[in-house]
Amino acid sequence: MNIKRIVIAVSLFAFSGMAAGLDFGKLLEERINQELNKDKKTQPAPAPAPAQAPATSQSAAATPPQEKQKIDARQLGFALFGDYSLEEENRIGKQIAGDLLGAVQLVRDDKLQNYVNLVGNWVAQQSGRKDVTWRFGVLDTEDINAFAAPGGFIFVTKGLYRRLNNEADLAGVLGHEIAHVSQKHHLKLLKQSSLIGALGQAASSKVKDSDQAVQNLIGNGAEIMARGLDKNAEFEADRIGIVYAARAGYDPWGLPGVLQDLAALPAKDSRTSLLYKTHPHPADRLAALGEAVDGRLDAVHGKELANRFYRIR
Amino acid sequence: MKPALIPAALLLLCTASASAWAAPGTVLRNEKLYSQPSASAKVAGSVAKGASVNILAKQGGWLRVTSGKTTGWIRLLSVRAGAGGLGGAGVGDVVGAATTRSDPSRVVAVAGLRGLNEEDLKKAKFNPEELARLESMSVSAAQARSFAGQSGLAAVSVQALPEPKPAQSSSPWEQN
Repeated sequence: MNIKRIVIAVSLFAFSGMAAGLDFGKLLEERINQELNKDKKTQPAPAPAPAQAPATSQSAAATPPQEKQKIDARQLGFALFGDYSLEEENRIGKQIAGDLLGAVQLVRDDKLQNYVNLVGNWVAQQSGRKDVTWRFGVLDTEDINAFAAPGGFIFVTKGLYRRLNNEADLAGVLGHEIAHVSQKHHLKLLKQSSLIGALGQAASSKVKDSDQAVQNLIGNGAEIMARGLDKNAEFEADRIGIVYAARAGYDPWGLPGVLQDLAALPAKDSRTSLLYKTHPHPADRLAALGEAVDGRLDAVHGKELANRFYRIR
Repeated sequence: MKPALIPAALLLLCTASASAWAAPGTVLRNEKLYSQPSASAKVAGSVAKGASVNILAKQGGWLRVTSGKTTGWIRLLSVRAGAGGLGGAGVGDVVGAATTRSDPSRVVAVAGLRGLNEEDLKKAKFNPEELARLESMSVSAAQARSFAGQSGLAAVSVQALPEPKPAQSSSPWEQN
């Protein structure tokens, strides 16, 4: 609870331009205490919060929910407060995408890759994010999954692509991933973990501006892709993703259809183990989506485009 | 002519007839069955959350199902395919048992083609060549618009969906 408040309060605090050589630890403590107290005042709390600042920040630092993170705050070349800049977002995304491509390469089929870029870019145009360069790729693995990285990097595996029946299905899957980028889900996660890392370290800084700093931020290799987001981010991406697909003129039932398909797969299918590690079960996603959609898309009649769908193998 | 998205239909290597499509499903919330795939059609019956149905066909956002003696159309998002029941977690055995029939795609999994796992991702080393390949495939907004237009796709105004009422603590920070 404490962590939550701190993170929210701190990330709301628009403080950029952190210069090299500043004492991160002190600064953080000050800011956090300020924000914490501010927060307490605005809440209808029973007692006006006394300035128990150091104790509060201590207890907060003592309960980091994300122990897996090994972020070294001293090496972050990134502002700890405020949002990441577009340039930072691109650097982070590029590093994650390049790492992921180190684990699995692209399918050697230029027609396929071009097709997915054409469809994906069109869906992404409905997202309202015009400041990123969208790049889509099909990964050469039978694993069933899809990934997004900040800055507009979107991947779908060959294993998932094979299960699609038409262009609307593809649009739905890509719409979900595009939503992760437009909502900056990974950046929010990174912001959270870098702050927690910084809290834990509370050390003075030597800010470096290098790819290593980006790598430090995202952890080992592409492991951020294996950690996943929280389930509310996934539910949100489902809600937003089908709307993007519908706005692009597609039948909005592509993504739900794909989820139905996955729901019927054997639970222990090894191709979905990573997917289920990082996502709620499709049955839960269908149920959550059902709540949100109800009859709201009844009037939407989009295209499936089964004929144009590029089939592999 | 609608391609069946319901996988069990694919599992059965569906032949032409729609009646051969029967696939198990579970109702995710209390729902009505309509006589036509439309909420303005006559109500043919109702099904309770957790009920088992047989999925016969799919059309847009609707599934044609039978529940007991009643057949009708239900919203696609009110049913999950597969016999896994309501929830996602802890249904492995049920799902496994229900899908032990011939699933051609399972062979692939059993054959152990390389998948992705956490270790692979952790060990992954930045691959600049592959990233350059990815970048080179990127298309412009104008190209994508033109491709969309070729099949008659045009931007449609669709309202954002509301976030369902938060269930107690819906803080994005407290999950995991």
